[in-house]
Amino acid sequence: MAASAKRRRGWRKRLGALARFTGALVIVGGLYSVFSPSLYAQEADDSANAVDSEVVKGQELYDTSCISCHGDNGEGIDGRGPSLIGVGSAAVEFQVNTGRMPLAAQGPQAPAGQPSFTEEEAEWIGAYVEYLGGGGTVPDDLAAMVEDADTAEGGDLYRVNCSSCHGYAGGGGALSSGAHAPSLDGVTDEELYQAMLIGPQNMPTFADNELTPEQKADIIAYVQYVVNDDRDPGGVFALGRFGPSTEGLAIFLVGITSLLLATLWIAGKS
Amino acid sequence: MKRRKGTSESLMTKAGGELDDRFKLAGPARNIMNKVFPDHWSFLLGEIALFSFILLLLTGTFLALFFEPSMTHVVYDGSYVPLQGVGMSKAYESALNLSFEVRGGLIMRQMHHWATLLFMASILVHMLRIFFTGAFRAPRETNWMIGILLFWLGFFEGFIGYSLPDDGLSGTGLRIAEGMTESVPFVGPWVSAALFGGAFPGDEVIARFYIIHVFLLPLGLLALITVHVALVFVQKHTQWPGPGRTEHNVVGFRMFPNYIMKQVGFMLLIWGVITAMSGLFQINPIWLFGPYEASIVSSASQPDFYVMFMDGLIRLFPSWEFRAAPYFTLPAVFWPGIVGMGLSVMLPLLYPLLERRFAKDRGHHNLLQRPRDNPARTSLGVMVVVLWVVGVVSGGNDVFAHAFHISLNAMTWAGRIGIVVGPIVAYYLTYRICLGLQQHDREVLAHGLETGILMRDPDGRFYEVHQPLAEPDEHGHTELEYSGSWVPKKMNRVGVLEPTDRGFFKSIEEPEDNGARKGERRDEIEAGKQ
Amino acid sequence: MSAHNDDKRPDEVDLSDPKLSRFDVYREGLRRDDIEILHYEPRYAKPGSKVEKRMERIVASMFLGSGLFATLFVVAYIWWPWEYEGAATWRDPQTWYTPILGVTLGLSLLLIALAVLTWAKKLLPVEELVQDRHDGGSSPDDRRFAESTVDTVVDDMGLKRRPFLVKAALLGAAPLGLAAVAPLGGLIKDPGDMLTVTGWNAEKHNDGEPVRMMMKDGALVRPDMVATGGQITVYPAIEGGASNEFASSPTLLIRLRAQDAETLRDNLFPMYQDVDALWGDFVAYSKICTHVGCPASLYEQQSQRLLCPCHQSQFNVLDNATPVFGPAARHLPMLPLGVDDEGFFYAKSDFLVPPGPAFWNRPSLPEEDEQ
Repeated sequence: MAASAKRRRGWRKRLGALARFTGALVIVGGLYSVFSPSLYAQEADDSANAVDSEVVKGQELYDTSCISCHGDNGEGIDGRGPSLIGVGSAAVEFQVNTGRMPLAAQGPQAPAGQPSFTEEEAEWIGAYVEYLGGGGTVPDDLAAMVEDADTAEGGDLYRVNCSSCHGYAGGGGALSSGAHAPSLDGVTDEELYQAMLIGPQNMPTFADNELTPEQKADIIAYVQYVVNDDRDPGGVFALGRFGPSTEGLAIFLVGITSLLLATLWIAGKS
Repeated sequence: MKRRKGTSESLMTKAGGELDDRFKLAGPARNIMNKVFPDHWSFLLGEIALFSFILLLLTGTFLALFFEPSMTHVVYDGSYVPLQGVGMSKAYESALNLSFEVRGGLIMRQMHHWATLLFMASILVHMLRIFFTGAFRAPRETNWMIGILLFWLGFFEGFIGYSLPDDGLSGTGLRIAEGMTESVPFVGPWVSAALFGGAFPGDEVIARFYIIHVFLLPLGLLALITVHVALVFVQKHTQWPGPGRTEHNVVGFRMFPNYIMKQVGFMLLIWGVITAMSGLFQINPIWLFGPYEASIVSSASQPDFYVMFMDGLIRLFPSWEFRAAPYFTLPAVFWPGIVGMGLSVMLPLLYPLLERRFAKDRGHHNLLQRPRDNPARTSLGVMVVVLWVVGVVSGGNDVFAHAFHISLNAMTWAGRIGIVVGPIVAYYLTYRICLGLQQHDREVLAHGLETGILMRDPDGRFYEVHQPLAEPDEHGHTELEYSGSWVPKKMNRVGVLEPTDRGFFKSIEEPEDNGARKGERRDEIEAGKQ
Repeated sequence: MSAHNDDKRPDEVDLSDPKLSRFDVYREGLRRDDIEILHYEPRYAKPGSKVEKRMERIVASMFLGSGLFATLFVVAYIWWPWEYEGAATWRDPQTWYTPILGVTLGLSLLLIALAVLTWAKKLLPVEELVQDRHDGGSSPDDRRFAESTVDTVVDDMGLKRRPFLVKAALLGAAPLGLAAVAPLGGLIKDPGDMLTVTGWNAEKHNDGEPVRMMMKDGALVRPDMVATGGQITVYPAIEGGASNEFASSPTLLIRLRAQDAETLRDNLFPMYQDVDALWGDFVAYSKICTHVGCPASLYEQQSQRLLCPCHQSQFNVLDNATPVFGPAARHLPMLPLGVDDEGFFYAKSDFLVPPGPAFWNRPSLPEEDEQ
C-alpha cells in the first residue's frame, strides 16, 4: 500500500472511528433487543414494582439530561454520543458519580467533576440503562473482598496493568492528543471496580476472566493503600509524587534559591 | 624564621616551634594565611558544589554499609506491606531495607539524593557565572575544561547512582541507555553486550555500575576537584574591575580568619539546607516503583533533572531513521542521544579555545567582564540556556501536559518549534539588551546622573540637571572613560564602590551602629593593641 | 610562590629592632608576601562596647541553640519510634521520624553556620588588602635554569645520542600497554542473536513446540479471557518467560471490536497477511518500543493508539502499529497468533522483524521501508 495514500486517508479514518463505533453498538444493541425481549418481559412480570419504579424514575432523568447526546432509548446519536445499550449500570454509575456525565462540552475526553446527580439518582439512571441492555455489575460484597485482599499481589497486578497510564503513584498521566489518565486520588472502591470492568473512554476493559473479581479487589486494596491510606514516610511534602521533574524544580526553587540568598548575605558588606 | 625574643613562650608557640623544626612550616603557613581573596557573592557558587560533594562522600559511605549490589533473585519479606512476597533483585531489596529497616537510613538516602541534585544544579549555576563573566579566559582555560569534565563525570555518576536501586524507574532509565548504546553504528550491539554481560538487562550490570559508582568515578571527581581548587588557589581568583583593581593585583581580605570562617560557615549552611530538605521533601520513593521488570513502565518516567535535557532532545527529535537495504540502519536516537551528547561535551569543553581564536584575544585576563560588555558571548550563553531550558521542559513534557491539561502532542510540537526559534530570538534580544545597558552606562559616564531636578533656562526651555560623576578637570570636562566597571545609577550611590544602603528588601540608609558616638572616628589598627 | 620572598627590598624592616610591636612584625610579614593593607580597623570603635557585647551574645546563643538541636536530633534518633508499621496517617508518630531528624539536624547545622558567619561578618575587623598577582610565567632566569636542567637530564640519558635505544624502549613498551588493557577483553561478549531472537522462538526455547502465551502469574491465555476493548500483557510460556531474562519478549494482546479488526485486516502488511497474523479480533504487538525500548503499553481503546510513556511515540493499532507521532520510526512488530486444540493462544512464530530499538545491522523488511 502506498504510504502517501494511507497518510491522506489517516485523518478521515480517525474521524470515522467514532461514527463506526457508534453504529456498531447500535447494531449490537438492536440485535440484542430483538433476540431477548422475552427475557425482559419475564423479568418485568416477576420482579416487584420497586425495580420498575426505579427504571421509570431513571427514564425520566435520562430523558431530561442524557437524551440530547445518547438519543432515544439510549440508541446514541452520530457524532454526539455513543449508544448506551449493553453498557450496563456499572458504567452509568461510574460516569455519573464521578461527574464525567452529563458532559458540559465535547472535548478529547470527559473530565471528572462535581456530580450533577445524587448517588440514588445515578442508580436510577443505571437501572434504566441496565434495562435497555445489561452489562457488568459490581459485586455486593466488594468492601469485604477489599478487606481480605492481598495488597502485594494487587501491587504486582497494578504495575503490569495500570501503572503505564496511571503512574506508579496513581497520580495519572498524559495520553495522546490531549487525553489524560486521571489521578486515582480519592477514588472510591466502587468507582475503581466499575472503571476496570467497563473501560470508560480510552481505558481498556478488564473482563472478569482476565482479572478475576478477587484480583480486582487486590488492585483496589493496593491503590487505596498507596494512594489514599499510607502517608509518605520520606517527608512532609511528597512533591505531588511526580518524581524527578518536581524534584528538579524543588532543588532550584528551594535549594539553589535559598543558597543564592545566603551568598548575597555572606558576601555583602556589613 | 627566628623566634622572636620577648614574646611569652606559650604552649601554642612551643608546639609551633616543634612542628617548624621538623617540617619548616613558618614560611608557607604565613604565606597561605595571608593570601588575599576577593569578595563577591558570585564567587561562592562553586563552593556549593564542593561542599555538596563532601556530603555525598559521607552519606554515600553510610549507604554502602547496607547496600548490596547484586541481581540475585530474592523474595521481599521486609516491613513495607505492599511489596511483601514480591520477587525482586537483592539490590532493590537492600535499597528498601536501608529505607525501612535501618534506623535513619531513609533520611541518609534522601540526603544523598538531594545533595546530588544540589551538586549538579550548583555546577550549572557556577558554570553560568564563569561563562558570563569571561572568567574562563587565559590563563584559566584548563580550569574551565576541568570544570566541564567535572559536570560530565557528575552526570554519569548521578545516572549510574539512579540506576543502582534496580527499581522500576531506574530500570527504565537503563533500558533507554541500552537503546542509545545499541544505536551506535558498527559497535553498538557489542558495547551493549559488554556492558550488560549479554542481553539486556542480564544479571551483572548492577555490580559493574556499583564499582564504577563508588570507586572509579568518585576517584576521578575527587582528583579533578582537587586540581580544580588548587588551580584557583595557585592562579589566584579573578576579580571585578573597579577603582584600584588591576590585572596585576587582588583586592580583598585575608584567607585567615575572614575567608576561612566564611567558608566553614557556608559549608555548614549548605549541609543544613540539604539536611532540612531531606527531612521535609520526599525524594525518589523507590518503594512505590516496584522492582524493575522489562514489561512494566509508569507514565511520567523521567530521569533526574540534569539528564532531562538529553531526554528532552530525544523526545523532540523527529523520527528520521536512515535505512540502506539490506543491512544498514542508523536509528533516529543516534542523533540526539549520541551525537547530541558528544557535542554537549565537546563544544563547551573547547569554547575557551574557540573564543580565543575567533576574538583574536591572546592576552591574560584577571579582571572579569560584565555580561553586557561582551554582547556576543552573553547572547550565545543565553541562547544555550534557552536551548537547555526547552530541552528540560520537553524532558518533562508529559508531566506538564498532565498537570496543566495541555495536549501531549501540542507540547511536543511546541518544544520542536521552541528549540529552533527560541535560541535565535534569545540571541537577538540579549544582544540588544546588552548594547542598551552599555549605552546607558556611557551616557551616565559622559553626562552624569539624572537628578530629577528640572530647571528652566532664560529662554524658557526646561532641562534636567545632571550630576557629573567626576570633578571637572582643568578644561572643565567631566566625562569619564568607559572601563567596564560598575556605574552608579542613583544619586545615593555616587562616590562609593559598593552601594552604601543596606537591607535586603528595603533600603536602610542609616549608618550601622558600631558603638561609636556620633562624629567619632575609628582608628585604624596601628600599634597591635592586644 | 616563595620566589619573590627572597627579593631584597631597600626598605626592609630590621627584625632585630626591639622597638618593633607585634603589628609591625605582622605587617612586615604581609609586605614580604606582597600584601599591602588598604584599610584595617576594628568593627567596633571601643572594645567591649554595648553593641559588641550584644553581638557576642547573639553569636553565643546561636552556638548554644545549635548544640540544643543536635542533642534533640540524637534523642529523636534513639527514642522516637521509627519502624514502618503499615499504612499510617499523620497521627502516627513513626511517620514523623524522617522530618524530625531532618529538621533537628538541619536547624543545628544552620544555627552553627549562622553563628560562624555572623562571627565573621560582625565581629572580625573591617579590612581591605591588596596583593600583587605575579601573573604570567616564571622569571627569565628561572626559565633558563629549568631549560638547562632538562637538557642536562636528556643529555645524561643520551636520548639524542642513542636513537636505537629509544626506539627499542618504545617498541617494547607499546605491547606492554596493550597487555595492560587486554584483560578488559573479558567484558567482550558476542551479541549473537540476543537482539533478533526472543522467547517466542520455538526452536531455541521450546524444543520446536510452538510457544504458548501466559500471564505474569503463569496462567495460560484463552480467547475468552480478554473482553472487547481489553488488553493483556502476555509472556512466552517457557521457563522464566515472564522474567527479565526475556526482556524483549513481553507482548500486548489486544481484543479489537469486530469492525476495528476488519480495518486492521485491510491494512495488514503483506508479511503479516502471509502468516495470517491475527486470530479473530485479536492482535498481538511487541510491548517493547521500537524507539529505545520502553514498554509502549498505554493502550487507548477509543483512539486505538498505543503510547510509549518514555518519549511519547504513538502507534496506530489499526494499521500494523505504525508510528503516527513522536520519535519512533518503525512499527511495533506483530506476533503471529494462533489458538491450539486446547483453546490456548500460542505464537505461530517469533516476531518477523526484531523487536525493540534499532541497531546498525538490523535486518529490515521491504514493508518497513515503505513507511
